[in-house]
Amino acid sequence: MEQTNASVTRTPLDSVAVKRKSKSRSYRQSYRSCLGVASRLGLTPARRLTTNRKAPESHNITRQVNPEHLALLVKNEWQLAYVTPLHQFRHTQLRSYARHLSAFVVAEKQQGLAVEVSGLQNGFKASMTVVQGMSEADDDPETVLIQIHSKPLFSRPDDPQKLVWSGWLTCINGNPEYLHSLPKDFTCLPLFVYKGAENLSSLVKSWVQRTFDCCFGPLELSQTSLQWLAALWTNCHAESNIQHLRMLWTLPSAPPLQVTYAVDPHDVWELWGSVRKGSWGDGAGEARWIDLEEVASFMQSLKSHFYRHFKLDLSAGILNQVSTALGSARFNGRIKISNSAYVITTLTLLTECALLKMPI
Amino acid sequence: MAASLNSSESDRSSLGGQSASSRSNNRSLRVAEKERRRNEAEDPFVLALKYFSVVEAGTPVVGNDDFENNLVLVERTAYSQGLSPEAISIMLEFAMSLRMGTAPCARVLKCLIPASVVPQEAVVRAAVWLSVGKIPISTQVLFIKWVLTVFDMIDAKDQLRAIYGFIFSFVTEENLCPFICHLLYLLTQKESVRVYRVRKLLELQSKLGRQPFLLHLLSLYKVFCPELVTLSIPSRMRGAFRNHVSPWKAALTAVQKRNGSLAGSSVSPALAVRDKSGSRKRKHCHLQLPALTSVASDGARSEQTSSRTLVPLAHLQSFDQLLKNVHRIELPAQMGSLLGSSVALQYLDCIQDESALLRLNFWLGCALHEEFLFCGDGATQTSEALQFLSRLLSAQHFLQEGFSSSDAFLYKFLNVWDGSLLRPQILCLLSNIPVIPSSQIRKLLFEPLTQLFFTSSLFFKCGLVECLNNMLLKWLTWHSVYALEDDLDISLNSHTSLNITLSGFKDSVMELIHFVGHLASVGLQLEGCHALLLSFVLDFYETVCDTFLKFGLPLVVMPPAGVFYPAFFATDPVSVDRLAHIMHRYKVNLTSAKRQEKQKEQAFHISRQTFQEFNHCVVFMVNCLWNSRMFYPGSDVQPGEELLLGSGVPRYWASFDFIHHPAFVSYALDFHQKCWPSRKEMDLSSIKDSKPWSWYLDYLFSQGFDGLKDFLKSNISRQAAAVDEQQR
Repeated sequence: MEQTNASVTRTPLDSVAVKRKSKSRSYRQSYRSCLGVASRLGLTPARRLTTNRKAPESHNITRQVNPEHLALLVKNEWQLAYVTPLHQFRHTQLRSYARHLSAFVVAEKQQGLAVEVSGLQNGFKASMTVVQGMSEADDDPETVLIQIHSKPLFSRPDDPQKLVWSGWLTCINGNPEYLHSLPKDFTCLPLFVYKGAENLSSLVKSWVQRTFDCCFGPLELSQTSLQWLAALWTNCHAESNIQHLRMLWTLPSAPPLQVTYAVDPHDVWELWGSVRKGSWGDGAGEARWIDLEEVASFMQSLKSHFYRHFKLDLSAGILNQVSTALGSARFNGRIKISNSAYVITTLTLLTECALLKMPI
Repeated sequence: MAASLNSSESDRSSLGGQSASSRSNNRSLRVAEKERRRNEAEDPFVLALKYFSVVEAGTPVVGNDDFENNLVLVERTAYSQGLSPEAISIMLEFAMSLRMGTAPCARVLKCLIPASVVPQEAVVRAAVWLSVGKIPISTQVLFIKWVLTVFDMIDAKDQLRAIYGFIFSFVTEENLCPFICHLLYLLTQKESVRVYRVRKLLELQSKLGRQPFLLHLLSLYKVFCPELVTLSIPSRMRGAFRNHVSPWKAALTAVQKRNGSLAGSSVSPALAVRDKSGSRKRKHCHLQLPALTSVASDGARSEQTSSRTLVPLAHLQSFDQLLKNVHRIELPAQMGSLLGSSVALQYLDCIQDESALLRLNFWLGCALHEEFLFCGDGATQTSEALQFLSRLLSAQHFLQEGFSSSDAFLYKFLNVWDGSLLRPQILCLLSNIPVIPSSQIRKLLFEPLTQLFFTSSLFFKCGLVECLNNMLLKWLTWHSVYALEDDLDISLNSHTSLNITLSGFKDSVMELIHFVGHLASVGLQLEGCHALLLSFVLDFYETVCDTFLKFGLPLVVMPPAGVFYPAFFATDPVSVDRLAHIMHRYKVNLTSAKRQEKQKEQAFHISRQTFQEFNHCVVFMVNCLWNSRMFYPGSDVQPGEELLLGSGVPRYWASFDFIHHPAFVSYALDFHQKCWPSRKEMDLSSIKDSKPWSWYLDYLFSQGFDGLKDFLKSNISRQAAAVDEQQR
């Protein structure tokens, strides 16, 4: 071994040394290892959740968005997922996508039976539509609603088809820097909210994955996100009654201890007012922004209040769920938005969480 | 009609013969040709063929001895040597035209064993006879089976493809359908997939149910035109067409073997259906490579690509096909699938489309993140993860670089890694990381690695040093390749160049070398200068000492004292020898650097300190090994005189010379015995005399210590040394 090493090292590459001239030469990296987005994001430190965000304003999106869509969004509990940017997605092709999706679902449901794509499927019918008005910043791509209707197996031929699955691909106030760093043929709709039968969900996911070469992953809500939601909802109390702030904690004892912590809306509102910095309530300028520190001290106050009464430190536990009359959110990525006025605020936070999950 | 066709056939062959003979002006050749023809004319086999080509329609079979004899003759030839292309044409024409009724048809078909190739025209003409409609269905099936069996031996397929529609029309024939589907499968090209054909097949499907042959043909249609048809093949139907005709196959191979030409005949096409059953149990299946499928072209996309017909990558089976179509390959629907096939990997190497690579990186990054970072419930299944990483590594190895998403993943993963999960794979991935700017290298790499290094076992330490050595090697290789190409810049688009200057690169490399030096110093101390770790450290410095000459990087970094002294004082001779070799290479590099510095004014500069460090080490080694002067003014080790006397070591100044160094003392003893076998008393210092000393050195060198040999040759002139020795 020693000898082979020696013989290798003895080969002098004089020609190599002779050729170099200038001190400041730049290297050409190969194409694979120097993708614009990838290399830049790969080297920057981990992205974090923003530390301050705009206080929720009640948006009157009922005027912009189809009330039918809004009603669908508001009345259900949704499962959250993230999607990497979609390749070659065209908002103008939705009708043809829907045809493909229907055929795909039917073919997968009936293993071993080929299905004509343009034919009429009698089992399942998928539809894809743009939800007009469901976007905030100019860079946000339009939200897309996917629905699957089906006819029950033993139904009369004139029975209407039933909605069995629905899901949204959306991006509200997505980080413009990230959106701009993507090449033109990518569409970034990072947040995927859906509800319906599990097997249909996985079929839709796998179809989107195959068609637009993207990946799905579950989107859990971190402690910080849940705390943000609690604070953001509380902040709305003045405009619309939150009725209660209920939090579910799990404490790591044996057996695990579940704590449901419900607070009266007035008390919470007062507590929130006391931790708010700057001019409070006059609605001008600064008060529109909420700082992470405020959220943290809000939660800290709630915890210490609990400790005073029950001698139980909640900081040792895990926040599992937050709910108010405006909505509820669970750490495993289930969310319900009950009031359409604050949809945008919540979805902005969720879009941010989804973008944080992007691998590059 | 049959007769006219036949005569044209014979005309053509005679014409061919004439032209061949007219070309040869040589008289003797012409004579030989005539001779051959006369022989042929008398050959009973040729006569038999002639019989079949001219026999009149309606000739009775029963009791026809001529027919019987001739057919037996043909059969015998067929089974022994196979039939020539002309014979195939004649016999096929005879059988399919039913000139002597349906009775001999099957018998003739059964003996159609080609010796070399099957002429395409004969097959096409026979297919035309199918539509005449008098042939019994079993014989039709037999014919299609025969075509399937000899498919690979048909000399061309363009005319067969031209009558695709004609062949397709037979799918409605229920008995023929399975075989026709198979034949169509072999003939299908993108342009033959049409909506009405898809509809026809689907109509058949609704009539016949889920038939594998229909599904397989449709799945090929899906490969070419996913926008027309979709399907999912259940695992129990994954077998390809089962149309093997074993007697024919056997006869065919026997004939081919006898003729010495074994043409690869792949009657059953390889189907690109993947078995997913294994991973269905898993909740998360991020680690599954997507299947190679083609893109469904919508209106928008087909507009862009209508100018040239694209070949889906999924349809390519071999490197040859890839080369033929490399200018018009359509990327698959999911870029991740490229990692799964070796042909696709070849293609990946020449992809320069940023979006395509980004798609691949999104998929890869997502899979790695989901599996190793986001999966909180410990669902990592090691065998699958192992398989996935091995595949990724082999792809990276093939491409000779990493993917940026796996780099980004590693920067995060190193912070949470326990140092044992999939260690070889992770370390191998790590060694593929490209050059990191020196401003970020500490945060991204060194901090997590330091923590892992000092809290892990000896084997992890060795593994990490080896990994960092590989990383350095890859960086240096990258430098020597890309820095050279700069003069003839072949970059296609300028925005892909990363702005690392030479000095920036040097800084990064220096940081890495210093980092490993630091790890090695402390690690050797922690592990009691373990020989295994030392060996890996020396491996690293074998790379470092040659950066200038081997990789053209004007940078020389000496090993720290924490590496140099443990290596020198090691008790195994191999380590000392390797250290000597490293020092020798340092010297060669430094002298050549200095020579260049003198030659060119704008050349780089190697700091005085490096030279000083080098001289310091060399002087120490020479003093210890050669001069038996371990302690001398200016050396690192200078204990007080009283202390040394108090230690009770006799002749302490000579403890580490070539004779008394613990690594070499056994050699000295051996040498002493061989040199003076009669001596009873061992007196090692007698080797020090001028003559035995040089014998002793030769003895050492003969033991394979080439490093020491080079070191001494370059640092000590024997002449001067001899003088020096005499003076003492």
